[in-house]
Amino acid sequence: MINAVLVFNNSGQPRLTKFYTQLDTGVQQRLISEIFTLVANRPSSACNFLPLPPLLATTPSAAATPTQPHNDTPSLVTYRHYATLYFILISTSTESPLALLDLIQVFVEALDRLFENVCELDLIFNFETLHATLGEMIVGGVVVETGLDKVVKGVREQGRVKKRREVGLGGADGLGVVGGLGMGRGWR
Amino acid sequence: MDLKATALLKLIYLEMFGHDMSWASFHVLEVMSCPKYLQKRVGYLAAVQSFRPDTEVLMLATNLLKKDVSSPLAPTISLPLVTLPHITTSSLALSLLTDLLPRLSHSNSNIRKKTVAALYRLALVYPDSLRSAWPKIKDLLMDEGEDSSVTAAVVNVVCELGWRRPRDFLALAPRLFDLLVDGGNNWMAIKIIKLFATLTPLEPRLIKKLLPPLTNLIRTTPAMSLLYECINGVIQGGILEGTEGAREGEEIASLCVGKLRGMIVVEGDPNRALIRSQIRDKTDKTTVKYVALLAFNRIVSSHPHLISMQQDVIMNCIDDPDVSIRLQALDLGAGMVNINNMVDVVERLMQQLHNAPTATRSVDHGRSHAAGVEPAADSEGENPEETLQPTADPQDETTALPAEYKSTIIHRILDMCSKDTYSNITDFEWYIDILIQLVKLVPPSGRSTPELYESSGGSLRNSPPEKEADPFSAIGCELRNIAVRVSTVRTEAVKAANSLLSVSGSGGFFALRSAGGEGILTFVAWIVGEYVDDSVSSYHSLDSLVHPKAQSLSPVVICAYLQAIPKVLTSIVSQRLLDWSSEHKTMMSLLVARVIHFLEPLAMHPSLEVQERSVELLELMRVASQAVISHGLENDHGPLLLTRAMPQLFTGFELNPVAPTAQRKVPLPNNLDLAAPINKNLPRLLLLADQGPLAESEAVEFGYFYNKRPIPRVAVGPVLDTLPFLGPESSSSYQQSGDSIPDSDAYMRKRSERWARNKDDPFYIGKDDLSSGTSTPFHDILRSANGEDVDVDSIPIMKLDLGDKIPTADGPDMGTRRQKLKRRKKFDIAKDENIELEDPGVAQSGTASVGTMNDTNPFQRAHDKIKKSLLQVDSSGLGSFSLNTSGSAAEHLDIERQAAQDADMTKALAEVERLRLEMQRASERIQATDGTPAEGTLVKKKKKKKLKQPAGDLEDQYGNPYAEINDGPIRDSQDAEAVPVMKKKKKKRKPAIAKPDDENGAKSF
Repeated sequence: MINAVLVFNNSGQPRLTKFYTQLDTGVQQRLISEIFTLVANRPSSACNFLPLPPLLATTPSAAATPTQPHNDTPSLVTYRHYATLYFILISTSTESPLALLDLIQVFVEALDRLFENVCELDLIFNFETLHATLGEMIVGGVVVETGLDKVVKGVREQGRVKKRREVGLGGADGLGVVGGLGMGRGWR
Repeated sequence: MDLKATALLKLIYLEMFGHDMSWASFHVLEVMSCPKYLQKRVGYLAAVQSFRPDTEVLMLATNLLKKDVSSPLAPTISLPLVTLPHITTSSLALSLLTDLLPRLSHSNSNIRKKTVAALYRLALVYPDSLRSAWPKIKDLLMDEGEDSSVTAAVVNVVCELGWRRPRDFLALAPRLFDLLVDGGNNWMAIKIIKLFATLTPLEPRLIKKLLPPLTNLIRTTPAMSLLYECINGVIQGGILEGTEGAREGEEIASLCVGKLRGMIVVEGDPNRALIRSQIRDKTDKTTVKYVALLAFNRIVSSHPHLISMQQDVIMNCIDDPDVSIRLQALDLGAGMVNINNMVDVVERLMQQLHNAPTATRSVDHGRSHAAGVEPAADSEGENPEETLQPTADPQDETTALPAEYKSTIIHRILDMCSKDTYSNITDFEWYIDILIQLVKLVPPSGRSTPELYESSGGSLRNSPPEKEADPFSAIGCELRNIAVRVSTVRTEAVKAANSLLSVSGSGGFFALRSAGGEGILTFVAWIVGEYVDDSVSSYHSLDSLVHPKAQSLSPVVICAYLQAIPKVLTSIVSQRLLDWSSEHKTMMSLLVARVIHFLEPLAMHPSLEVQERSVELLELMRVASQAVISHGLENDHGPLLLTRAMPQLFTGFELNPVAPTAQRKVPLPNNLDLAAPINKNLPRLLLLADQGPLAESEAVEFGYFYNKRPIPRVAVGPVLDTLPFLGPESSSSYQQSGDSIPDSDAYMRKRSERWARNKDDPFYIGKDDLSSGTSTPFHDILRSANGEDVDVDSIPIMKLDLGDKIPTADGPDMGTRRQKLKRRKKFDIAKDENIELEDPGVAQSGTASVGTMNDTNPFQRAHDKIKKSLLQVDSSGLGSFSLNTSGSAAEHLDIERQAAQDADMTKALAEVERLRLEMQRASERIQATDGTPAEGTLVKKKKKKKLKQPAGDLEDQYGNPYAEINDGPIRDSQDAEAVPVMKKKKKKRKPAIAKPDDENGAKSF
């Protein structure tokens, strides 16, 4: 299963954190920064798998019990880098590494469709939609949907998705906060 | 409320940056209960992000969740479904289960799939919920008309459940197989293959069935991920093993390896659908390469021969710019080495180490290089002389390597070489040379050895070299092992040790100290001391050992030095000073004086160990010095103390390697009774001791006990582990090759030159001498080496198992190979000594494996329990959970049992409460003498509903013996109730019948 989904930008500021277990805020932050240090030091040509960050690293002997091919320990950190953002999935060995990469791809494509040319700013101002999108794809660490169209449809059913033009922290009707920061498409 | 929701949303955002928002949990709850969907969504999101296990308001949310789960609006339902997995507890799971189950048949597929996932997480905290949910989930899976995404979600869940209890899912295999064959959904196919990989070991017949579709998929699929998983499934599912020998088996094995090879060599997969392919292309390639290596790593343990065929590509990956890939390739390299490619692989790694610091970085090179490789590259050019082939072009593609990576390489090289007690090494001189080079290449490490030893409790005696900790120590350990095990090259090893110890040479003492490599000195000093007889330059050794600079070394190292000094000295005395002359006398006194000079400051060393040893030695040396001075020139022989007494102190048995488990196999002497009290009078003695000071004579005895010299270690059964603190020596630089990379050819040339040069030099032992001792079986060594009157047979024994099972250099297959290769010497590699015991189980393993397994397993288990990984979701509850409801109750875990009991208890309480209410109502009715019909029916209906529903549900869902125990009495009363009530309905409320009802109730109160 998937243990956590993280999105942060090139300078390590989190844009989305979703842990499928309950963790203390402090621990979450430490994990994020550890992963960021790992990921930031990699050349762009490096492969998409990270060694386990120190927080997650357990005794190597326990990780490799030959009798059981899988266990509950998170053992796989997969990431993908898009423009200014890093997308990170932490998962157990039951997930397929390459499939996870595709999953990230689907996630990004779904966002791209929802926001029409998604960029980091969209995610900041509409992070609720971001969560909703993720909620359509992964529930409690189990992947429930990988089809792009269905994900997008599911999010749209929940309410209109705002474009940057109408930015507001709310990102949805009814909250009454339409910030109107006046940012146009030129932001890319 | 709008305002509040907005504020909450901002709070969530801040929480993401690490600001605590637990104080707002009640507000979260408030917003969650908003009627407006969008506000509700904010509330639920806040709950997901901020609720922790200790959040108390969660209890208040139960009703709200229940309500929202049963909401008529689909989006509203999915909110709690998505949230539940994050916040669920077993009590919450219990109360929500009944509301969630109907959602499995909701008309909206979106809801259905989310419910499945949510139920899975619920089951993790409350395994019983799975029991009631499973039939429905199974129906969803079996239903062919079901929405494909729901099926996919169910497969995901089943896959998660599957590896814990694969046996329960065998029944699903046919359906899963169909889904695999005509599913069309890659994600789902991957999951199914993963599941099958865990199922096949249980059901071998599956392999036959799976083989055709898997082969087909591997051949045809355009998706790299699916291809990879197919291969992975083939590997992990043991399909390779299962079909061994059959034609298809070979076919698929070679197909897999071929595809994997393609993944490494060929440019990324063009068919893979990637939107930003122009950017991601390069990354994807390395990624694919990485996973391919990962798969190779899985095969390597079972099919090393398949992998070694792919040696060329793998070796290229070792030079890949990406460190993760290198590490994988390195692991792989360690797994695939055999006697033939050993030298190749190691040389390649050495090249890398040599080049690393200076090389410039070129990112793209690795790829083009890999692509250009000829697949038919050699796998038989393994002769030491012709190993240059792979070293062609790494010069420009190596990058500056991180220090940890370097030390990993060093450890891997050592592991590779020492695998199976050096069975892969054919030329130990080469290996020693490698070791010496490695010493120069060790990256400067952060912490120095003394800290390392102190952290391990400061006890040198019991701390075997921490192999993984310090590359220097590891190399030293290897060098020592060679010296001990391979008597043929002992001279070489000692020479190497001398060069490392040397204070004058370039690669010696000072260079080591500046690099933080003191760890190796311990071993080196020991070698030099122990095998001083093989040394050609004892004087040099002594020079280095008593060099003033050595006084500032760490205590551990000094201890080793201190043991080595007398050994070297003794050897000098006994070998060369037999004919006593004034010249020799002067020299002798000079040497002894130097040693004393070296020891004197150490007698006040802060470390107790060093102090004690040096004081002992100092006294001995003073006596020796006296003896030398007073010894007249008229004698033919030197002073007896030096020529006879001291050698006896420091020479003795040949030391042999002993298996770590040998100690425990020494049989207990028959007359040893460990249970016997040490002293029957002990209580009385203790009492006496408490009462007054010791008698004077006793005190003297004590003092004697503590102050007396320890008995020199002569005839004690040699145990390798206790050795590292023995002694050292030195010589001039062993090999002058400072900067140039010594490749094998050059090395060979140099060596033969050296031999030629040294042939007539009396200080070098000639080549012939070297090989003469080759085949001495070490039983004989053991017997002959000690001239003393020690009765070997009297040592409680122990037949020595010389490890015939381990392939030795003398093994038949080695013999044939030896003939093939031009210059390969015969090396006797001493095996770990062990004791054949009656107990076959223990005796079989001559290695450490038994010990470690026995020792660590319980510990590890306990350890696992205590320390859980951070993000880990504990699913151990499911492990012992059976889906076959009937008869499984016996194996319930305690926790489960408790949960079930609790559940039953609450139900039972509710039941009692309800009954009480009914009684009350009944009695009221009777009080009202002639109750109106309307009232009567009302009561009855209620009763009927309540009675039937909960009771039925109860039995369906929690049908286990514990429930019955708890329910027993209650159900009785309830039955008693039910009958009269039903009758009442038929007979239209005759008061006569109503009465017993009342009485019954009164009784039960």
